[in-house]
Amino acid sequence: MVQSESLAQIITGCKGGDAECFSQIVDIYASRCYGYFYKLTGNKDVCDELLSELFVKLVEKISSFRGGSFESWLFRIASNIFHDYLRGKLRRKKLLDARKKQLKLELTEEKRSEAEMLDKLQFQLKNLDANTRELIALRFYSQLSFKEIAAMRSEPIGTTLAKLHRGLKKLRELME
Amino acid sequence: MNGRNEENLSGCGGLRPDEKDLFEKFLASEQAEKAVEDIRKGEQILRDNPAPQPGDELIAGIKSDIAITLLHRKENAFRRTVYKVAAVAAAVMVLSAISIKFFEKGDESARMYTASIIPTVIWESEDIAADDVDLAILTAEVEKVADEVMSLRTGENGSNGQSAVIELETELAEIESDFWEG
Repeated sequence: MVQSESLAQIITGCKGGDAECFSQIVDIYASRCYGYFYKLTGNKDVCDELLSELFVKLVEKISSFRGGSFESWLFRIASNIFHDYLRGKLRRKKLLDARKKQLKLELTEEKRSEAEMLDKLQFQLKNLDANTRELIALRFYSQLSFKEIAAMRSEPIGTTLAKLHRGLKKLRELME
Repeated sequence: MNGRNEENLSGCGGLRPDEKDLFEKFLASEQAEKAVEDIRKGEQILRDNPAPQPGDELIAGIKSDIAITLLHRKENAFRRTVYKVAAVAAAVMVLSAISIKFFEKGDESARMYTASIIPTVIWESEDIAADDVDLAILTAEVEKVADEVMSLRTGENGSNGQSAVIELETELAEIESDFWEG
């Protein structure tokens, strides 16, 4: 865990356009953000794209960071990027669905091969609903408190606790 | 690489002491304990099945992208500054030109006003009498009176000098009033 004082110094450097400070941010957060994206998508190539996009966005938006929890701010951007990706994927899927039988067959094959690639946890995570899956990944990789997660998702803390509890309990059952 | 990942992910998951208390606000003590246990075991599964790590090439690529983005931003910032300075300079030049024009126009209108009282041709003429008929008559009569005054002074006409001067002054007053009446 990075000390908050040194993190504050790094962020100040980033705001000043110091490439070295941005490199440090990448070193600190790349693994966690990659894990977050991976648990949600289960696809390494997509994760590579999303992670690159996240840090480019970080450079663009760092001046708008006004203090508070940097993790919360960073993972909010990550979450927005993931949702943009989902919307794009949904659009593509709709286009593909419109092309009937021939492509239907291809889609089934693609799905099967994707499932084969995933490890057991990834496979079971897919059995949870998208919202719960994101909550679990966010909690685990962002290391945010329940309060911060609830604030970020604009929902009461009781709802966050209940969803996470149900989700992790179900995941455990699926994994057993 | 592995060192970095272990360091970053070792703290993932795990309930903090204050968060355990949070469950007791919503659930009975026994249920809260059960919920905390469920979460702990669930997060342990995530720790036991870590996600793959981003490759070194990817990280290097991201850092390189950041450096390029920063470079472009610096260039754009410089360009923006130059444009701003140029725009300010242009604005100053335009304002100066307008101001000069405005002051020049002010002088010109005053001169025009003066010229409207007396026509420029007459005002600037060397021979006013030649330009105005009334002035020509006046000039001729004034010259005639001047001759008479001279002859009186020299005593050429032999008359009483005092009465002749009064007579001339009267005549001069008449000429003057005739001239202004037109």
